[in-house]
Amino acid sequence: MNTEKHGFKAALFRHETVLLFVVVLEWFYFNSVGPRFGSVDNSFDIMRHSVEIGLLALAMTPIILTGGIDLSVGSLLGLCAILFGKFWRDVGMPIPLAAACTIGVGALAGGLNASLITWLRLPPLIVTLGTFSLFRGLAEAITRGVDTFTNFPASFLFLGQERWLGIPAQAPAFIVVAIGIWLLVHRTTFGRSFRAIGFAPEGTRYAGIPVERRLALVYVLAGMIAAIAAVIYTARLGQAKADAGMGYELFAITAVVLGGTSIFGGVGTVQGTLLGVAAIAILNNGLVHARQPREVAGMLTGVLLILALASSILPKILATWRARRQTSLNKTPVTT
Amino acid sequence: MKKIFSLLAIAGLTLLIGCGKPSENSGGSSAGASSSGGGKKVTIALMPKSKGNAYFISCKKGADKAAAELGVELLFDGPTDPDPAKQNEIVENWITIGVDAIAVACENREGISTALRKAKSKGIKVVTYDADAQPDAREFFVNQATPEGIGFTLMDEAARLCGNEGEFAIITASLTAANMIEWQKHIEARRSSKYPNMKMIALRPCDDLKDKAQSEATALMSANPNLKCIMAICSPAVPGAAEAVKQAGKTGKVKVLGLGLPNENKRYVHEGVTDSVILWNTEDLGYLTIHSANALAKGTLKAGDKSIKAGALGEFQVEGDSILLGKPFIFNKDNIDKFDF
Repeated sequence: MNTEKHGFKAALFRHETVLLFVVVLEWFYFNSVGPRFGSVDNSFDIMRHSVEIGLLALAMTPIILTGGIDLSVGSLLGLCAILFGKFWRDVGMPIPLAAACTIGVGALAGGLNASLITWLRLPPLIVTLGTFSLFRGLAEAITRGVDTFTNFPASFLFLGQERWLGIPAQAPAFIVVAIGIWLLVHRTTFGRSFRAIGFAPEGTRYAGIPVERRLALVYVLAGMIAAIAAVIYTARLGQAKADAGMGYELFAITAVVLGGTSIFGGVGTVQGTLLGVAAIAILNNGLVHARQPREVAGMLTGVLLILALASSILPKILATWRARRQTSLNKTPVTT
Repeated sequence: MKKIFSLLAIAGLTLLIGCGKPSENSGGSSAGASSSGGGKKVTIALMPKSKGNAYFISCKKGADKAAAELGVELLFDGPTDPDPAKQNEIVENWITIGVDAIAVACENREGISTALRKAKSKGIKVVTYDADAQPDAREFFVNQATPEGIGFTLMDEAARLCGNEGEFAIITASLTAANMIEWQKHIEARRSSKYPNMKMIALRPCDDLKDKAQSEATALMSANPNLKCIMAICSPAVPGAAEAVKQAGKTGKVKVLGLGLPNENKRYVHEGVTDSVILWNTEDLGYLTIHSANALAKGTLKAGDKSIKAGALGEFQVEGDSILLGKPFIFNKDNIDKFDF
């Protein structure tokens, strides 16, 4: 029992180490082929471009830990972006109030996911597949697909495009959310209950943990974080349109899984997710510096995902194989 | 445990071997780049609206030709998925790489302008082509066709097909589309001044749908037995009208022309149903775009200039901040197979 726990811990440690190596390797490789890749400006570009997907991946980590999934975050980003635009331009709210209301909408939308999942006991995949279409459809209906919100004040665009205290202005928001999610997952009993739910939801219920309330928490949180991502996205592009964040849910899931979180729930870390986001973001940016066509990025992300997962499974396979041989070796002296 | 350590050691070793050499290189090359930045050959980055679109691949053909002639390095990249933020990210990457000029066909007018303004502020020359950004976000727009050019060419071609007299009808996308109304104004101006014996008998909307265009064309032919020509001014209407004429057995009797894409109409052009498909020459558009970007980067093209020389294609007119590609291009039986978009 003791050694098994130890081996398990080592495997976890190993996955993140492998990923860290991959990130460092990517960095050195692209630095060698693209003269400006390693510049501070470019590092900030990478950060800026990965904040929205990074936020969604952070929100997705506790959800996947519970064995769930949220396919609606990208669509919700789109819906929140245009509602934010509407609050500001059509309702006439000042930017901070519009942002606060948008986060409120995000919480409501997350609450819709949560209530369908916990009250009706529908599988998260089905529920969020539904809201994936619903949220995007709402965004398109509200703008009829053509209305675009733009001409935001410069003080707001600052958040997405300028530097604050020397770092990209959106970085502090990301860091705060990252620390918050890390504390929640790794330093509270909530975090432990997420993993427990991921391993055995029924068992967790019998252990007296309010499974429904914990599940609701992670989905509402995801809605709110998607809304924050929407505001940052709008500031970065200077426009809010119904197609914002299209396909982001899959990038976020890819980053989480690449980061070592098991899609079946129960296993995973926030720092793994952050490394996953970094690996994908550096790859996407670096290929431009290596003057490689963009389509290569999708291909290599796939290869990276498969290799990273295979490399973390390999030690487990080796361990079981060795254990089996050990037992057969142990058996032989008994029989003779 | 031992195994894990050995694996780690191997991984570490690969890492060292993998980047030991290149990292030396990077130090050297980055120093070289910063010192010899002025004398380097010009790098122009060209972005389509989306990468797989045959229309832009055709533009790139012309761009490649221009780049080879001018000896500039051409980067071609664009979004491969429907994420509207991608164009911005690519432009921002190009800013960091330090290209000399950027030429963009804008998918999101407002969104991309944010990134283009940033490029401009960093001293990178910016032109747009095919679809413009906000005017303050770029130096010049390479304009593939003016409403006047389109309207006049359509009317001239219709008159030529009808022998300067007779009835014709127009199928449009919708009666309210601003660009179509603009074209109709120029069609009418040309008709009244040059072809008074041509008579426009109907203007029908098809909602940008091929099958609706087909039924409209059928109705037009049965209601107007003297109809000589159908002019379709939105792209789905051209093959739609052709199909109607073909099915009515009036091939050759009722001429079809319109504004559309070569590939959609090749079949009808070869069958003799459609006579002329009007658009612009996309290869020339790419060619002129690269020449303009290069001239800007070299400083030979400035605001206020009245014309620009573009290699083999000669002089082009500049009107304000628009570089005009000139008269639309007519695709017909003789040349349509050379184009694939």
